[in-house]
Amino acid sequence: MTSFDTKETITWCPGCPNFLILAAVKKALSELNLKKEEIVMTTGIGCHGKVFDYIDIGGVYSLHGRPIAVAEGIKLGNPKLKVLTFAGDGDTYNEGISHFVHACRYNLDMALIVHDNRSFSLTTGQATATSQQGFKTKVEPKGEFLKPLNPILLALSAGASFIARCNARDIEHTAKVLVEAVKHKGFAFVEILQDCIIFNLEVNNLDKLMYKVDNRKDKEKAFELAKEWDYNSTNGKIPIGILYQEERKTLEENF
Amino acid sequence: MRLNILVGGKAGQGINAVSKIISHVLVKAGYFSFNCRDYGSLIRGGHNFNVISISDKKVGSIEKELDGIVALDDKTTDLHKKELKENGFVIKAGDFPVLGINLNMAMAGALCKILCLDKKFLIEEIEEHFPVKEAVKAGEIGYDKVEKRFNCSKISNKIEILSGNEGISKGFVNSKGDLYFSYPMTPATDVLHILGLSQDGKHRVFQPENEIAVVNMALGASYTGKKVMVGTSGGGFDLMTEALSFQGMSEIPLVVYLASRPGPGTGVPTYTSQADLDVALRAGHGEFPRIVIAPGDPIECAEKTNEAFYLAEKFNTLSIILSDKHLAESEFSSDRKENKILKININRELPGQKIVRANGYEHDEKGHTIEDAEIVKKMAEKRLEKYEKIKKEVKRFEMVKIYGNKNAENLVVSWGSNKTVILDALDSIDKSIETGKGNWKFLQVLYLKPLSDEIKNEIEKAKKVVIVENNLTGQLGRLIREKTGIKIESRILKYDSRPFYCDELKNELLKLK
Repeated sequence: MTSFDTKETITWCPGCPNFLILAAVKKALSELNLKKEEIVMTTGIGCHGKVFDYIDIGGVYSLHGRPIAVAEGIKLGNPKLKVLTFAGDGDTYNEGISHFVHACRYNLDMALIVHDNRSFSLTTGQATATSQQGFKTKVEPKGEFLKPLNPILLALSAGASFIARCNARDIEHTAKVLVEAVKHKGFAFVEILQDCIIFNLEVNNLDKLMYKVDNRKDKEKAFELAKEWDYNSTNGKIPIGILYQEERKTLEENF
Repeated sequence: MRLNILVGGKAGQGINAVSKIISHVLVKAGYFSFNCRDYGSLIRGGHNFNVISISDKKVGSIEKELDGIVALDDKTTDLHKKELKENGFVIKAGDFPVLGINLNMAMAGALCKILCLDKKFLIEEIEEHFPVKEAVKAGEIGYDKVEKRFNCSKISNKIEILSGNEGISKGFVNSKGDLYFSYPMTPATDVLHILGLSQDGKHRVFQPENEIAVVNMALGASYTGKKVMVGTSGGGFDLMTEALSFQGMSEIPLVVYLASRPGPGTGVPTYTSQADLDVALRAGHGEFPRIVIAPGDPIECAEKTNEAFYLAEKFNTLSIILSDKHLAESEFSSDRKENKILKININRELPGQKIVRANGYEHDEKGHTIEDAEIVKKMAEKRLEKYEKIKKEVKRFEMVKIYGNKNAENLVVSWGSNKTVILDALDSIDKSIETGKGNWKFLQVLYLKPLSDEIKNEIEKAKKVVIVENNLTGQLGRLIREKTGIKIESRILKYDSRPFYCDELKNELLKLK
């Protein structure tokens, strides 16, 4: 089996769920059985971005908010490459949200993996668009007052052809979903919920609400699943797994 | 012989079509023309006009005093009759029967007759560009309606008409460009259209969601070994700034076409200015090499775009081609052959074949992220060294051009779209350019970064030096002072969002002490 390990020193905090996401990614890549040279990644800036040095494939370590746009260029430049984009919630839902929305429309054959720890952690814990209300930060000591964005609902409305949500702590399940995401012909969006063990432990509290689904093609059902959890409430259910998948012409097929 | 004719009317009445027919008929008769477009930011109505300058010799500017007015509406005559020479002519809409949308073709026909151009050429051109019976008929009606006035009898010049934007597009195609990314913005939009309409399997065009996506996508595509270019104007260029800096660190080749217009802010969006030299030279945080080239006419646009691609690929660097609305959208005629096209070889390692790491974070030679002081220092020096290599390489290209009498005492220094108006103005003073024997010479700076050493020599040799720029603060003057220590005291600066007129510039030059 191909090893995707590198010799670089890992600088995530001990116990960070990013280790688990990295393990799931490597597991998925091994199962996909692709040549290393044919897989390319782009990464944004934030804790997640460090994967650039921890997976033994090539790619572009881009700027904050821009890994989707760079990946799209790669795909247009050489459609034969398998393109994975790693991004944070700050990258995707704050700084680079325009790229995210349009990527759902364009439907290039690529996979977007969002490490959603619901905070700007590498800048020491400010609120992102998916932070829960009441999240106490140095910016809002009394707690974040804005309601979070629901990225699943946004992606669905914007026309993403593959939408999934995972729990970082479930490596097996995450790896399985990632394999499907990479195999999917079109823009595959995988939102991975993770704690920031230093600044935002909220996901840890939500573990018990998560349940697995596998919904393809049924868009009505997908909207129901997307609305089941608003990224704010601490009760009810949080569906994880593949929430929607459709077959649609990719941008490069139309190009 | 030199004539200046204004063609005016409401947006949508087909003013550009009149200029197009006339300039192409003139080409067939062997005459040079220069067409300058003056239009506001609106699609229908308002008042737009073109001034077309015609000559049996090379011409690259317009003059304030008009020999004729072609008025598609009454407002045109009201606004411009004060610029008309005493014996000037006016062609009015009321001179013709009701022709609807083909009125402009009748006007073009009448103008051809006034200039004594062959009717056969007129019909050929209308048939080629507007192939409907009514248009041709209207052209004939116009031609037959008026009397001859001037005598443009056929001469044997071989002339090509090109706008700056067409030149840039030509340079892209000559360089075998693969992908052009752009978000619409005047005055760069034409390139998006020209390359969009000519997608023939050899190149592709994509218009992403904004300029930030434009430049990041371009870098992604370039990483895979494709030859890419992006095009924009000042505001869009500002949005691209962070990615230019990213280019500096990741060293993915990139060609940027910056067609400037008056700022700050939205500024005067459909008019002209050379105020973006500073931002082209310095945009982007951190210290990294780049190349900034400013062509002065459409043929140079094609040549310098080719050089920009060559240098970007050879040095994994950023090449910026700087133009402005006046160069981008005016139609120039030329009989000069282009320089030989440079072949651009991709000799990099490419993804798909190798593991290739491009990194916007500081990194070692293999692309792995580092923060180690020693390596940080080494990599910074490597980038500086690269600039030294670029400085050597660009010496093979025309970094500056000198026109006129090499031993003249008076030197005009300028750049970009001012080139052709300066040549015309110096000839109208004492034929300095045409004969090479007058009192003037002109130093055109094409490479703004790196800057040629010849500039210092030329300035030191001359007795009287004047710098001409289409901006408020004299940005080239500042750059020359920074690089040579020489302050050019005499400046002719224009910043009313309009280009220099030939007669206006001539008067300014003659006023100098």
